Order: sequence, then C-alpha cells, then structure tokens
Amino acid sequence: MDLPLTRRALLWRGVALAAVTAGAAYGSLRGVDDHWPFAPMSQFAFRTDPDGEVRAAFVMAVDARGDRRELALTNETVGMNRAEVEGQLEGFRSRPERLAALADAWAALHPDRPRLVRVELLERVTRMRGGRLLDPVQEPVAAWGAP
Amino acid sequence: MGRPVTSRLERWLAPAVPLARLAVVRRLLALFVLADIALLTADVVPHAKGPDELYQPLLLRRALDLPAPGPAYVEGLAAVLVVAALVVAVGRLPRLAGAVLAVAFLDWVSIAFSYGKIDHDHFALVVGLFAVATVGPAGLRDPRTSAAAGFALRAVQVACVATYFLSAVAKVRFGGWGWATGATFAWAMSRRGTQLGDVLAQFPWLLRAGQWGVLVMEALTPALLFVRARWQAVGATVLVGFHLATWAATRIHFLPLVVCLAAFLPLERIVPAVTGLRRRRATPRRAADASRPAAAGAPACGPPRA
Repeated sequence: MDLPLTRRALLWRGVALAAVTAGAAYGSLRGVDDHWPFAPMSQFAFRTDPDGEVRAAFVMAVDARGDRRELALTNETVGMNRAEVEGQLEGFRSRPERLAALADAWAALHPDRPRLVRVELLERVTRMRGGRLLDPVQEPVAAWGAP
Repeated sequence: MGRPVTSRLERWLAPAVPLARLAVVRRLLALFVLADIALLTADVVPHAKGPDELYQPLLLRRALDLPAPGPAYVEGLAAVLVVAALVVAVGRLPRLAGAVLAVAFLDWVSIAFSYGKIDHDHFALVVGLFAVATVGPAGLRDPRTSAAAGFALRAVQVACVATYFLSAVAKVRFGGWGWATGATFAWAMSRRGTQLGDVLAQFPWLLRAGQWGVLVMEALTPALLFVRARWQAVGATVLVGFHLATWAATRIHFLPLVVCLAAFLPLERIVPAVTGLRRRRATPRRAADASRPAAAGAPACGPPRA
C-alpha cells in the first residue's frame, strides 16, 4: 500500500458507510418512499395477480378550439409524468378541480398553443388471465372544465 | 485475537487500489451527473415552473425546511451542478468541488422525487458522489495504491449491491414470497412494453422464469463484495446485460445505477490502453501492457483467464 489511511480516517469512513447501509436496509425493511434516500427499493416489488388487471392513467384534453385528444403524460406536456399523476390519483378523484393544475402547466409550458378548457383523467384497464394480457377497457377517474 | 480480524476488515473496507481507478470512476460519475440532470431528472425545471400544489416535499426537504423550489432556485442549482461536475471532471479541487457536487445533486434529486414518485436507481449514484469526494487528488495515470481510493470504490460497490439486494428484500416485503409467481413483468410490459415487450407478453411462462431469475440474481449480489476482481467484472457485466434486456423490453434503464457498476472494473487499465493504441511507435513492452486492459475492459467478450 503506497498511501494508507490512519486508523481514525478509516474509522469514520467505516462508520459512515455502515450508517448509510443501515439506513438503506431500514428503508427496505420498514421505511416508506418519503424517507428517500432511505426509501424501500420497491420499484416492481408489488406482486401482480396473474388473473388480475393492469391499470394505466391517461388524459384526454379539449383545447380552446374544441379539439379533443389524448395528451401524453409527461413533464413537457402537463408538468407531471404518468407515474406522478397515478401517485396522486385519489387526490384527483376526490378533488377533480386539481386537474386545473395540469391545464395551467400546459399553458405555462406551451404559451403559443391554445389553452385547455377541459381535462379528463381516465384509466386504461387491462385484465389478465394466467398472466396473459386481454383487451383493455377505459374507466373515467375525474374531469375538470374551465369555469 | 482482535488484531488480525480488524486488519482483515480493514483490508476489505479500504483495499489497496490504484488512484488511477478512482480517478476514472470519479470523472465518470461527475460527467454522468450532467447527463442525468439534462435527461433523466430534467423534470425539475418544468416542475418548478408548474404549480406549487403538485410539490410534495420528501422528509429530507421538510426536515431541512427547504422551500418549494421556484424556477430561479432550480436554475441556480443546475448552474452549481454543471460547474462542480466540470471542475471534478478535469481533476481540480476533488474534495471541495466533489462535496459541492454531491450535496447539490442530493438537493436536485430530492426535488425531482418530491412530485409523487421516487426511483430507486439514484441511491448508488448519490452515495457514490459523496464517497469519491473523500479522496484527494488522483491522476488518470497515478499507479500508486491508496486505501482512501479503495474505500471510496468499496462504498460505491456497497451502494450498488444494497440497491439490488434490497430490491429483493422489498419484493418479499411488498409482494410476499410469491412475488416471482405473479405477473409483475406482464404488468410492466402492458404499461411500458416495447415491440419486444409485446412479443414477450405472449409467453407468460417466460416472464415468470424471468421473475425467478431476477429475484435470485438480486439476492446473490452481495457475493460481489467478496469475490476476486475477475468475478466482480463478470458479475458487473451480467448485471449490465440484465439492464440492457430490461431496457429493450420496457425502456426502463436504471442508468444511474449502471454507471456506478464501473466501481467493479479495473478501469485504471483504460487510460494506458487508449494512449497505447494511439501511440503507433509504442515499444513492444508498452504494446503488451496495452493489449491486456482491452481484454479486461470487456470481460464478457473474452474467455476467462486464469
């Protein structure tokens, strides 16, 4: 070893690494997302019933010209991506007026385009049988119209 | 008999590693931060322009009483990140600029994750940025072995392994022991499948086998912290292959974690190899040195050497 560490230098490093590792372990054993960076490593950790269903949120929007189309749920279009919208789905369901935030974000991000006058949040529901995907159906979640 | 055990632990925690290896990994992580904030967590900027109502600060931000980030704040933060990353990338002020980079990146990512969704692919990178900032100046051709460099790379390795192993733990916690017999991969293909994913979704048994494979692989990753360098390189390559397959089927990439896998590779051989190839009038001795790293840099392509 050309450049060793002193005992003390090694000790604080070891303690710091142990603490970070313990924090990460705590996160995955007992923690919640709010504790990030010590959150559970839970992406794709949920078991999906092979005879259950897959849900994916999407948004239909009507602009000031009356055009109705699906808006991609990304930060470039409405300031939130799909997973974020889904993380707050129940909030939108109980308070549909919160969808105005998506229209506001659209207007802020696309100042040259017609404003959105109506935003509908829906879910695409795909049933499964034995892990095989069947044809999807649509279910409405919440809708907001400009006053 | 405490002494020998301690020194074995010390050798594991801070092995003798060439400074050049740390230098390569440190520059790689710093440059990756630029790509990360421009492409992966770029949402921070449009988020900041959107309504504050969508901002749901993480515990970390509430505990530090950080305000809802407005456009000026995140643009200033981005500027700090770019400057600090470039200073680290050219090898200047490695501790100071490295610490600024680590803290600023933690701030940035915690903003990105304060809008209803967090990703677990950034844990190793955040830990890694702090870890490499604990090492002083390190040149790309510095062959001296350093315990500080050994510790920093070990910390990055531990953070990578924690990400994989704890993913398996979380699967058992949230999905139960039956996680691997479920249809989580079919769920992923349905929501984000590529054309390849759509094809794979027609073979539920294949997806189930893949789920078993992933769970077992993740559970075995702690072995990477204790095996020889050659097997570390093989293991890291297998993991990169897993991420490539996942990306091909679902466009999920885990790139911030993939970059940290560099800490498992003998990257100090890259610089002499590149310059060796460049110098046509290399002596036979230097040419021999240069050919070795090329093989080691791509362990999956060459046969394992004894």
